[in-house]
Amino acid sequence: MTMDRRSVLGLGGVLAAGLVLAPGMRLVAAPENVTEASDKRRWGMLIDTTHCDAACTACTQACRTENNVSIVGDPQRDIHWIRKVDLHDKDGRKPDRSLPVLCNHCEHPPCVHVCPTEASFIRKDGIVLVDMHRCIGCRYCMIACPYKARSLVYSKPKVPPDANTRVPIRAKGVVEKCTFCVHRIDDGGEPACVEACRKDGGGSMLFGDINDPNSEISKRIREVSTTTIRADLGLKPRVHYQGI
Amino acid sequence: MLSEFSAIEGRSPRYWMLVGLFALVLAVGMGAFLAIEVYGHGITGMNNQVVWGMPHVFAISLLVMASGALNLGSMSTVFATVQFKQFTRFSAFLAIVLLVGGLTVLLLDLGRPDRLLLPMLHMNFRSMFTWNVFLYSGFLVLCLLYLWSMFSYKQFTKVVGSAAFAWRVILTTGTGSIFGVIQARDVFHSAITGPMFVAVSLTSGTALSTILLVSTYRRTGRHMDEKLVFGLRNALIFFTLLVGYLFVVEKFTKMYSPAFYDVELWLFTGPWAKLYWFGVWGCCVIFPLMILFNGRWGNTVHGVMAASGITVVGVFAFVAHVLLAGQSFPFDMFPGYQLSSVFLDGVDAVYTPALVEFALGFGGIALSGILFLLGIKFFRLLPGRAVAPKGWELPWSP
Repeated sequence: MTMDRRSVLGLGGVLAAGLVLAPGMRLVAAPENVTEASDKRRWGMLIDTTHCDAACTACTQACRTENNVSIVGDPQRDIHWIRKVDLHDKDGRKPDRSLPVLCNHCEHPPCVHVCPTEASFIRKDGIVLVDMHRCIGCRYCMIACPYKARSLVYSKPKVPPDANTRVPIRAKGVVEKCTFCVHRIDDGGEPACVEACRKDGGGSMLFGDINDPNSEISKRIREVSTTTIRADLGLKPRVHYQGI
Repeated sequence: MLSEFSAIEGRSPRYWMLVGLFALVLAVGMGAFLAIEVYGHGITGMNNQVVWGMPHVFAISLLVMASGALNLGSMSTVFATVQFKQFTRFSAFLAIVLLVGGLTVLLLDLGRPDRLLLPMLHMNFRSMFTWNVFLYSGFLVLCLLYLWSMFSYKQFTKVVGSAAFAWRVILTTGTGSIFGVIQARDVFHSAITGPMFVAVSLTSGTALSTILLVSTYRRTGRHMDEKLVFGLRNALIFFTLLVGYLFVVEKFTKMYSPAFYDVELWLFTGPWAKLYWFGVWGCCVIFPLMILFNGRWGNTVHGVMAASGITVVGVFAFVAHVLLAGQSFPFDMFPGYQLSSVFLDGVDAVYTPALVEFALGFGGIALSGILFLLGIKFFRLLPGRAVAPKGWELPWSP
């Protein structure tokens, strides 16, 4: 096959255009350049399980409403950014507990480590997020997460009529998870689950900057005995539990 | 004296019927992909507990066999096993077609296959997936160069063949490490997962090569020396013993630690126990060895073919067990507590594969099949007569 001069020039032009445009596409997709998060802050959560009622679902309901997390109707495929887990001591010596489990926004998140496209990333303030435009739906992050905190969107999601326009609806085929309600944090607020727990629940959830030694959460973590889920894995989760 | 290489005629109605059959299966596979693309993974059997299903089983099995298909080439080029030198072209070509089939299934099972370009634009070098992108594409290039050198530049065959050998060991270790590095899952996490994948690639690649060589020579009315088949049998025996050895070492190490008692007991007796005992131990180790070590069966081509067929089934069983059992075992997030939730915490995950998943997987096999059939028709991949070199005798027979 031979190519005339015109074709060679045309092909060269297309390649050059591609090279010029590619870095621009990268800039648009790169999340770190558009965030205003501060690396001086480290957001964390403390959950006092002694005040969490098994029948209360204020946190999970608020999360669904705030983040447009729809119910698929299939327990195997329903999406959960936060869920209530009931604990029953196998030896019967400790009291039963009920507590919310969500993304632990680890300091060393395995989901971020395994993501091939860097769609899962850590913001400067430690919040682990998913860039839904970069996620290819390989699900390796779901395999790697020890908290089962991630869900794949298995089919086209239903958009509720009163959807929160501040949180985009995720497309089918991508993985989604708790964002600590990052849009509210950036406005100086707190996650919807924490607010709902204080208003309608037992007030067992506390959110704040664990880098600030004077924040309420830092004081509580210093004062009371807390634990994290699977601390043995060395991931340094930022969701702490009291009472288990 | 080695016979001249020649392509098969490939004019018989049987040949074209086989091509047509593979084309039909491939078309069904493409249909399955389109259905998943349009309706989402909701039409598969996968769920938020078992997120990698049958397409991954097919894809990874094909990729493991692709690495193993290079056995004959490596044995000849690197280890100077003269009797298999005549199969080096076939070996490199088979590795390529299996790799293409496996990768196709893997990529088409993505949640967003339309974003295929992204892994090439944004790379995370901490991810085993990113490394595997390089390992697979590098293996493909090396196999093509290996093939090319054998056809036109024989002076480079040794160098390229040796590089391809080293690459395939790293490649399959990388495939196994996709699971081995996952600390969160007790079934996956082991330093020996990678080497086990390498060992299984050795058995399954040799077994598949044996099946295809014997079938091709018989169906085309060509001669293949039975001694060569028995040479392959001996290699298969050695590799199968290696697989059994690694299986034992892995279980021995884990069973030594009380932290693994629960998961190991679950693997031996739980919902995936049949697949483990019959598929993994039976098809990967015990049944092939029973045939190959048998004085009567092991010394017939039919016996070697049967053992090879079982071994190929074994690689699918092995990968299925690692993947599916590994994902089904519930996370023990709060040791000492029994867990329950609406997200099915604390219970074994349930997974029933859907037809579209099998269609997609078989589509990958069909793609490899078509490429293989066209390859042996249009390229001089195999000698007209496969004969054992003069003076070469089998060192051992059962």
